[in-house]
Amino acid sequence: MSFGVVPGSSNQALHVWPNHVPATRIGGGYRWRVAPRRREGSWSAGLSSSSFRTRAAVDERGFVTAKGSFYELLGISEGGSYDEIKKAYKQLARKYHPDVSPPDRTEEYTRRFIEVQEAYETLSDPGRRALYDRDLTRGLHLAFSTRKRFDEELEDRSGWRDCWQDQISELKRRSMNKDVGENLSWGAQMRRQRAESSIE
Amino acid sequence: MALALPAFFFPSQKPSLLSSHWLGGADLHSYQHQYRLLKTRKKPCVGASLSERGEYHSQRPPTPLLDTINFPIHMKNLSIKELKQLADELRSDIIFHVSETGGHLGSSLGVVELTVALHHAFNAPQDKILWDVGHQSYPHKILTGRRDKMPTLRQKNGLSGFTKRSESEYDSFGAGHSSTSISAALGMAVGRDLKGRKNNVIAVIGDGAMTAGQAYEAMNNAGYLDSDMIVILNDNNQVSLPTANLDGPIPPVGALSSALSRLQSSRPLRELREVAKGVTKQIGGSMHELAAKVDEYARGMISGSGSTLFEELGLYYIGPVDGHNMDDLVTILKEVKSTKTTGPVFIHVVTEKGRGYPYAERAADKYHGVAKFDPASGKQFKSSTKTQSYTKYFAEALIAEAEVDKDIVAIHAAMGGGTGLNYFVRRFPARCFDVGIAEQHAVTFAAGLACEGLKPFCAIYSSFLQRAYDQVIHDVDLQKLPVRFAMDRAGLVGADGPTHCGSFDVTYMACLPNMVVMAPSDEAELFHMVATAAAIDDRPSCFRYPRGNGVGVPLPAGNKGVPLEVGKGRILIEGERVALLGYGAAVQACLAAASLVQQHGLKVTVADARFCKPLDRALVRSLVKSHEVLITVEEGSIGGFGSHVAQFMALDGLLDGTTKWRPMVLPDGYIDHGSPADQLEEAGLTPYHIAATVFSILGQTREALEIMS
Repeated sequence: MSFGVVPGSSNQALHVWPNHVPATRIGGGYRWRVAPRRREGSWSAGLSSSSFRTRAAVDERGFVTAKGSFYELLGISEGGSYDEIKKAYKQLARKYHPDVSPPDRTEEYTRRFIEVQEAYETLSDPGRRALYDRDLTRGLHLAFSTRKRFDEELEDRSGWRDCWQDQISELKRRSMNKDVGENLSWGAQMRRQRAESSIE
Repeated sequence: MALALPAFFFPSQKPSLLSSHWLGGADLHSYQHQYRLLKTRKKPCVGASLSERGEYHSQRPPTPLLDTINFPIHMKNLSIKELKQLADELRSDIIFHVSETGGHLGSSLGVVELTVALHHAFNAPQDKILWDVGHQSYPHKILTGRRDKMPTLRQKNGLSGFTKRSESEYDSFGAGHSSTSISAALGMAVGRDLKGRKNNVIAVIGDGAMTAGQAYEAMNNAGYLDSDMIVILNDNNQVSLPTANLDGPIPPVGALSSALSRLQSSRPLRELREVAKGVTKQIGGSMHELAAKVDEYARGMISGSGSTLFEELGLYYIGPVDGHNMDDLVTILKEVKSTKTTGPVFIHVVTEKGRGYPYAERAADKYHGVAKFDPASGKQFKSSTKTQSYTKYFAEALIAEAEVDKDIVAIHAAMGGGTGLNYFVRRFPARCFDVGIAEQHAVTFAAGLACEGLKPFCAIYSSFLQRAYDQVIHDVDLQKLPVRFAMDRAGLVGADGPTHCGSFDVTYMACLPNMVVMAPSDEAELFHMVATAAAIDDRPSCFRYPRGNGVGVPLPAGNKGVPLEVGKGRILIEGERVALLGYGAAVQACLAAASLVQQHGLKVTVADARFCKPLDRALVRSLVKSHEVLITVEEGSIGGFGSHVAQFMALDGLLDGTTKWRPMVLPDGYIDHGSPADQLEEAGLTPYHIAATVFSILGQTREALEIMS
């Protein structure tokens, strides 16, 4: 199984998890299915750049994943309503469901099914759809990169800790210099009074 | 690897409902976790009652650690690992208790870690913790000595569903309406400063409550006064109630939510920060000040309008923080607590509503408010009734009116489900406006719409409209703009208690010079009054209806009511000696009282006033002329319908004769939460009370006592 993501350098290997059968991502939360094993090194390097163009990707077995947006995959217009998305998804899900796929093309159909699934999940959630549309206009086709989205969010979250740790240090630093000088705020005056009265 | 099997090996299930997502919920902070996920792993939340296969038990879940905690002081020496276990046990305890009593589930589940961290880091009750709205305070109540009373939640003489000062010293401020916490916290902080004390003051407010103006008024003042306090924004991206409409999740209303979301993507800032750090390293150590300045400006530039909004108001912004990570929360709270002279600090915590209970996480409304339910399946026990709620009837009536009149628009304040306007928005998506929790703005917004020739219907609960009273007077009534107010939850409301009780709306609406004030006595009347309101186009009008279901009268054809003649009531039963003149839902109690009285051989007249303003004077005159006693009955406070009748009678000379007039109104006090029947009993407005009043005025005290026993 490969994903339609090509990191910046064209020498990077694409990643295949041939025996892995992915489950699906649920809902709007940050919970995940079992993550596939990954090759060391190259994936994370490619991920940390914040934008890269993706077009068609050819994996080692020669399957071509679709290029283009979720809208094209579902066959609806970019302004499609929730009902249209749902209908398109249901049709395609029924078509590509592994149980009903022709036996020689199970792998491809399964992958298509996952893609359709992801398209539906992104487009049916208005918040995520808004983000996706925004990325689309910026020319980022982060297609079928469920893995990448997960890692992005992971990065975001790990970035949060750095951020607030810095903020706390800054708060401590500021509190040293607070309450000095003229034009004290009301709170500063009260703090000063309290400090003076506790010294006495 | 058994748990990794996806849905399409079980073709009968729809893939999107597969509950394998319980494998997630892992700490997202390191890539190494992904490898661990390959092994079978129990979901870290709700450990206590969650079996290996993710089932919930309907019996009381085992909570060994929680059993040792009666008050926050017992939590002081727990390690982070124990705090996490405590949070899990607390979660299962909440699910268990709310399943038995009903209540607000999703919000409480979202703040479990935050509550545990707060009580661990701070010393309540000396340190004041204020919960905005208070419906998320169930974990707080459990941890502050009220766990054994949880089975009485929202029942008569039991725990309130919100924070209440008279209930416990740990509840610093009573709440029920939103967005008051920061104001109250600032008051407590300033009071502490004036008294020379040293405790901490913390306000916890949600992103929904942040859409109200009062929150900004408070932050503006807090930034100016610079008193030490902490504001925690509990951001779960749910701004309106329910968090979805009938067809699925809806994006939050308002521009603020997207600003808050932008704050959560820290990547560009981090990159810039890395660059800046590299640069300062090269420049040299003494450039520390400069680097800090760069940091400050960078934050302002990169984070966009989000954090600078709070910073400009004078609050120090920290965040975003993962609200389900105990480590992070405890660290931050302890650090902020230990820093002296901070001024106001704003901590942006990101949580998930309903977290830890998969049915809630998946539900469109995140199980915000639930009836009793079965924890194992998530199914709520809703009794089936023959009639629908007044709310639903109102929505149907409005839809029917809007079908024929394209100028009709509807406005609500973050209460699409509670007002029934979710039905309206499904039918007319462009004609329904959710303004967020901003009733004052909603009213003036409606006034503006009316200026342009539209016909706005403001659907705001009776008690929530109190907040917008000046706008009703100054913007609507004074200028005589035809805004229609549909006041749901009028009268006593049951389990939500006095904060949500709509007892004052007759009083405060009927004293306004230009307002038409009416109340339906049953659902058919409601349909007609919606039509009447739609037809009144030269002045403002309002109508009130209670919480609860209809009585079962036939509905008008096609849900389309017929406008009533303004200022005309009706007589329902012709009798003698005593006339019961009811207003609104009280008419039903009058009818029941009449049948009670009938059993003792007296047939009384029952009339439905329909309009409080303009009053049906002819009806009142005729009732006074032909009866010895006139009793006016309403489910409202003093100064309402009865007072208007008395005023008219006095001015008309009707009190100068032999007729007696007696009012029956809500008592002069706040009625605590309980079942609607209990509350009515305490108010003295049950049919029994009315019947007993009839007899006691007539001097037939024996019959009065018989009825009341």
